[in-house]
Amino acid sequence: MTDPGPTEAGLTEAGRGKSRLGETRRIEAEDARAPGPRVEPAPRRIRLSSSRLALLLILIFAAGVALVLTSVYYLTARVLDREVDAVISSEVAHLVDDYSRGGLLQLVSTLRRRTDSWGRFGAVYLLTEANGYPIAGNLAGWPTEVRIYDEWVEFEIDASEAGGIVAHPVRAQRFLLPGGRRLLVGTDILERRRLASRLRTAMYWGIGSIVLLAAAFGIAYSRGIRRRLRVFATTCESIMAGDLSQRLPMQTAHDEFDALATAVNRMLERIEQQTRVLRTTFDSAAHDLRGPLYRARVRIEETLRHPGLADGSRETMEATLAELERVQRILGTLLQIAQADGSAHELPTQDVDLGQLARELVELYTPEASERGITLVYSGAETAATRGNGQLLAQALVNLIENAIKYVPAGGHIEVSIARQPDGLLLSVADDGPGIPEADRQRILQPFVRLERDRDQAGSGLGLSLVAAVMRMHLASMELLDNQPGLRVQCLLPSAAPGASS
Amino acid sequence: MRLLLIEDDLQAAEYLIKGLCKNGYQIDHSPDGRDGLTKALAGGYDIIIADRQLPHLDGLEIIAALRERNDRTPVLILSALGTVDDRVHGLQAGGDDYLTKPFAFAELLARIEALNRRSTASAETTRLKVADLELDLLARRVNRAGRTIELTTKEFQLLEYLMRRAGQVVTRTMLLEGVWNLHFDPQTNITDVHMSRLRNAIDRGFSKALIHTVRGAGYVLKE
Repeated sequence: MTDPGPTEAGLTEAGRGKSRLGETRRIEAEDARAPGPRVEPAPRRIRLSSSRLALLLILIFAAGVALVLTSVYYLTARVLDREVDAVISSEVAHLVDDYSRGGLLQLVSTLRRRTDSWGRFGAVYLLTEANGYPIAGNLAGWPTEVRIYDEWVEFEIDASEAGGIVAHPVRAQRFLLPGGRRLLVGTDILERRRLASRLRTAMYWGIGSIVLLAAAFGIAYSRGIRRRLRVFATTCESIMAGDLSQRLPMQTAHDEFDALATAVNRMLERIEQQTRVLRTTFDSAAHDLRGPLYRARVRIEETLRHPGLADGSRETMEATLAELERVQRILGTLLQIAQADGSAHELPTQDVDLGQLARELVELYTPEASERGITLVYSGAETAATRGNGQLLAQALVNLIENAIKYVPAGGHIEVSIARQPDGLLLSVADDGPGIPEADRQRILQPFVRLERDRDQAGSGLGLSLVAAVMRMHLASMELLDNQPGLRVQCLLPSAAPGASS
Repeated sequence: MRLLLIEDDLQAAEYLIKGLCKNGYQIDHSPDGRDGLTKALAGGYDIIIADRQLPHLDGLEIIAALRERNDRTPVLILSALGTVDDRVHGLQAGGDDYLTKPFAFAELLARIEALNRRSTASAETTRLKVADLELDLLARRVNRAGRTIELTTKEFQLLEYLMRRAGQVVTRTMLLEGVWNLHFDPQTNITDVHMSRLRNAIDRGFSKALIHTVRGAGYVLKE
């Protein structure tokens, strides 16, 4: 026993490997360790907030771009309209002036001159008698189907072009001449309409592509954030599973995330260092205690083998041996708790049929229970596959069953059950014994904590602590509930996917 | 029978040697791993008892070195590393049995005896017989003096375990490991109730009891 160093390495050095418990994404629903902050399942939150941010960005972008482009469109259209209207109005004024100075003849001759150029300039003229009979101009008659806006009208005329007959929209001003004759002056606005529609198309494309771009950017951005946060969350989970050597990954960007990672990593460094010191101290203490314990036991056994030992001395020796065994058991359990908590990732895991294990253990303890007048039964799934350390799971179950047998009075019942649920395997050990007061249910899971009323009972107050440590190691939640009456210990373990035994 | 004890805790070693000698074993002692391996390789030992943590070479490395040279001598590992997993790991590494310190001397004796029998016992048997008690492994039937005895599956396994080790002491821990595959000690002596049930089934109504309690150690099935 002179060189405890190297062989203790398995306990003191946290391995670099990933948690062998695998990609379990569950987090303990209720931290059984001690009253502490509740751990929320982080990844869900991340997805919500980052995609909400992306959606918001897209909406803001789309709204902004739509506003800008729409105003540009309407302003342009209005400027074009005004220009046309101004040209027509000035032409009307010119013609009215002609009419008032030179009378009908003058007006008609001006109109003739003007209409010669129809087709090139797209100007439309019509002069009619009060009864609507056309006098001059390039329209056959007063247009039907007009849209009227005060003195302004809009209508369509058919013009033959290279491709056949095309309907040309016309915007015109009507004017009632003195004497009841009516004048119509307008212009072909087909090109203007086309320009406006092109502008509109351009606007839609602009809005569409910018929204798409914003969406793509937003999604990529939120994905990036989510990915990094997920890596953080996974790392944190594997740290929680006991691998304190893990660190949050850094990127070369030196952004806020790196700053966060640096801070968290420094914190982890510190925690790991402290834990290492604590564990080394604990391990060597435990190891150094085993030596003397062993030798003390050896001596007592040797003495007990003396035939000449007085009866009184023999009794004392045997009692001392029993005490030593108790110390040894406490030490062993403490070591096991420390191992389940501290180096869980180093423990080998297997496929464990929890259903079979529970059935066998119930079978093992049924005679013991019935000797005490207690009914112990198993109910639930025949098989229930999970992954974990079979021996530690067995030990946890044994502790729960033994605990129940210890506290349930004669005539009581204990039911061990396993139910396959969508979110895992629900293991429950329920009894109708005295139960545990609500206020003590968290506390009782801590090492060495015992209920006041059990002071005179044998026990170390480590049994439930070990169960809690084993459950933590298996990323399972553990709850103590009121069985009305009695105690119900419920553990929700991750279930192994059927067939995923590779 | 010759034993080799590789143990660096000299006081404990002295006590073990004294006790084992009293029980008729011839025993050599080696205080460190390297010396121990040399002695072990020189051969001639029926069983090697090695501490897991030793100077120079630890217990598991000694096993590895022996097995590499095709030496199948049974090795019993003694260890202060007592968590469930250390035991399982020790056995996986090729150790034939594993005892956690501190242990009862009776436990060690029983384990040595079991290892010794194992190295000599024939492997393939379909029928076990002790006095007038017969166990048919294929038909999974038990009868005593021609009378069929109904047993549960576990009781059958328990009886098989005892009959395979007829005449030698079997401890409670050995039963838990061998029959229930539990490599830790529960608080209660849970095997006792099962043994008394088995006893009722096997011995009740017969003048001669086959299952006996060995005080401070365990049980033995013998004529």
